[in-house]
Amino acid sequence: MRRLVLTRRESPTRGGQPIAFLFGLAFALIGGAILLTISGDPVFDVYERMWERSFGSLDTISATFNRAVPLALAGLAVSIAATMGLWNIGAEGQILFGATAATFVGRIFPDLPGPILIIAMLLAAALGGALWALGPGLARAEIGVSEIITTLMLNEVAIRLIVYLQTTKWKDPDGFGFPQITARPEQARLGIIWERAHLGVLIALALIAAFGWFMNRSVWGYELKIAGSSPKTATYAGISMRRKVVGVMALSGAVAGFAGGIELGGSAVRLSENISNGFGFAGIIVAALALMRPSGVAVVALAFSALQVGGLSIQTLGVSSAVSTILQALILFGAIGAAVLSTYQIRLVDRKVTT
Amino acid sequence: MSPAAVELDGIWKRFPGVIANAGASLTVRPGTVHAVLGENGAGKTTLMNCLAGVYLPDDGAIRIDGQEVRFSSPADALAAGIGMVHQEFRLVPTFTVAENVVLGAAPSILDMAAINREVAALAERFGFDADPERPVWQLSMGERQRVEILKALWRDARVLILDEPTAVLTPQEAVELGAVLRRMVEEDRAVIFISHKLDEVTSFCDEATVLRGGSTVAASIAIADVDAGQLAELMVGSSSAVKSLAPRVGVAGDVMLDVRKLTVTDSRGLTAVDALSLEVRSGEIVGIAGVAGNGQRALTDAIAGLETATSGSVTINGSDVTKAGTRERVDSGLAYIPEDRLGVGLAPKLPVTHNAVMRSYRTMRQGPLLSWDRAKAFCSDLISRFEVKVGRFDDPMASLSGGNLQRLLLGRELSGNPVVVVASQPTRGLDVAGVGAIQHLLVKQRDEGTGVLMISEDLDELLALADRILVMSEGRIVGEFDPRQASRAEIGEAMIGAHA
Repeated sequence: MRRLVLTRRESPTRGGQPIAFLFGLAFALIGGAILLTISGDPVFDVYERMWERSFGSLDTISATFNRAVPLALAGLAVSIAATMGLWNIGAEGQILFGATAATFVGRIFPDLPGPILIIAMLLAAALGGALWALGPGLARAEIGVSEIITTLMLNEVAIRLIVYLQTTKWKDPDGFGFPQITARPEQARLGIIWERAHLGVLIALALIAAFGWFMNRSVWGYELKIAGSSPKTATYAGISMRRKVVGVMALSGAVAGFAGGIELGGSAVRLSENISNGFGFAGIIVAALALMRPSGVAVVALAFSALQVGGLSIQTLGVSSAVSTILQALILFGAIGAAVLSTYQIRLVDRKVTT
Repeated sequence: MSPAAVELDGIWKRFPGVIANAGASLTVRPGTVHAVLGENGAGKTTLMNCLAGVYLPDDGAIRIDGQEVRFSSPADALAAGIGMVHQEFRLVPTFTVAENVVLGAAPSILDMAAINREVAALAERFGFDADPERPVWQLSMGERQRVEILKALWRDARVLILDEPTAVLTPQEAVELGAVLRRMVEEDRAVIFISHKLDEVTSFCDEATVLRGGSTVAASIAIADVDAGQLAELMVGSSSAVKSLAPRVGVAGDVMLDVRKLTVTDSRGLTAVDALSLEVRSGEIVGIAGVAGNGQRALTDAIAGLETATSGSVTINGSDVTKAGTRERVDSGLAYIPEDRLGVGLAPKLPVTHNAVMRSYRTMRQGPLLSWDRAKAFCSDLISRFEVKVGRFDDPMASLSGGNLQRLLLGRELSGNPVVVVASQPTRGLDVAGVGAIQHLLVKQRDEGTGVLMISEDLDELLALADRILVMSEGRIVGEFDPRQASRAEIGEAMIGAHA
């Protein structure tokens, strides 16, 4: 009798990260094609439209880039926490509170010159995001509370806070009674670099590169790698796990909060509870597809952004945008499956048992 | 004569850098409780894992009832009638006793009432007191162990392997377990009982096989024919003359490590180290002998600052470090080679360079950055001085062999010019060349005036290296011996608490 068994490889296959991602993408496109065929939709037309509206022209490419910015930053935030084995499920809330903090700065200094104001707002956003993640970090480090639960719950708190501000203190007096927050100062706007792409694209790329560089070159990054390897090894090496946990959660929150500031200064004109737009959660998938390595988040975020932008466009063909959501999920399945195969191999073994 | 229930013949099992079994053999007759004895690292658990289908042996034959078999998974072994109760239980806490027992071997149509009755009847048959409907999380460790045994019996195991079953039991529960095992062998089943507690072996078991260094040194000796002292001697080694590897030349100097009335409570709230005092002077190797699990790890961890002391004090080179963190202790002159090299002393997935500078990276700062040039220079110096075989500096630490891992770890610790070295099982699992190199380094360090505290389960090694041997049992020092005069049997008996 013969059967298939899964055995661990001696060492993971080289280049597993891009292969896993490409495999996931292929898996999703094939799986999506099957689903579209079953539902009677024109597979080729749908895919063509998605391609056209995400990468088809310079204009759409720039829009795809814009949307990739918060996805990449949220992915970076999640993967920063993951270097220590922590799960930041609250990038969504940190984006929202970051944007709230930026809005606050915009409200108190509405007349500052644009560049100065936008810098102040972005710094406030990072600070706000860090603050939002600081509580979960402290609770985890000091009394061992799962950061998964606390960061997730704070998402809801951030949403409610904005809804409260919308209807009370920060309600737009010119909103015709509609509950919306006053628009940010007009000059606090990220400059356009190319077509529709704003400065956030460059800032995000720089941030990801800077983080990777800092992680590899700094004492802090070195200690973080040791701490992520095992808490016992960290203690052995004289590294304080508590400080590392708090520091990493705050940094992760700061990056997510910063994304909130970028959204406010780039794609949005005012703070609302929709400004995070699910980027925080999608960031988890982006980080997972990049196998929690900050180096991969930019590319994965761009592909994900294309899927989302393209997915929205196919509604005009009479196809539900849920197709895009399904494709995003299928990519994750395929990539995780491929990641498993990079560490395990399938073998056919002979079964010779005599009893 | 009927064929043996189990016959392991010349089993070899190698792991990277470690030979766990070197031609070990074991023959177990049906209807007997067979003890497998040996010190930690003697290869008992590996041999049993080969029999239970967890590992595939590199060489050698396994015969069940005279038929040669080859297991590629525990399920295969189970199908052939081999059940194993591991040291860590594999139960679902929220399931009931009966649900756990039948898990994976339940009939396709579940009639829980019938299953409960059958499980209760099975328990009854072997003299267990088990309520099939109680959830497992409510049970004591002893009761959970019975559920594990029931699991094997439910699958009609003809051979039951128990890996150190009494480690989690109270003395009363251990006696009850003995009675259950007798019932099983009355049904002509065979039980393999792994232990190093001699009193239990002599009271429960019919025959014993002793392993040492991965091979069988005494096969199927009848328990009735030997006494505890003889078994102890077999376990710890032959009585041949001990050659001292390197006798001390100088005299011991000042006290470098002073441990006073140290008490350490472990995570389960049990006293692991019990008001223990010891001192290590410069220029001497103090060996701690003892069976694993008698508080050695808690002692060394408390000296190194990885575990907090409940009371007592630790002084290194004159400064009291009882409350200090690991870093201050290292700064006071401590070097620590932990027992768990890969889990504590090294970061296996990180590159060799990262591991090499774990103690010294703080001196390689350039503002917030780390000077990798200096780190690489340090690493290459370490590698050449301590003859570590490394592929590339960027290779993960885990790609090194066991001996080279330990050389790098020891070299790193010694490069800080320590005044006291605490080495826990520094040669365990290494090949002959590796053992020699590590021992040589420790002796050299001693000769240069460092105090060395060495914890080892290999009595030969302590006899060869140590200037004084302390025996540790149940968290206390229960005896001190001069290795040039003490007999192996004397020390062995103190280790296992046999009062022969």
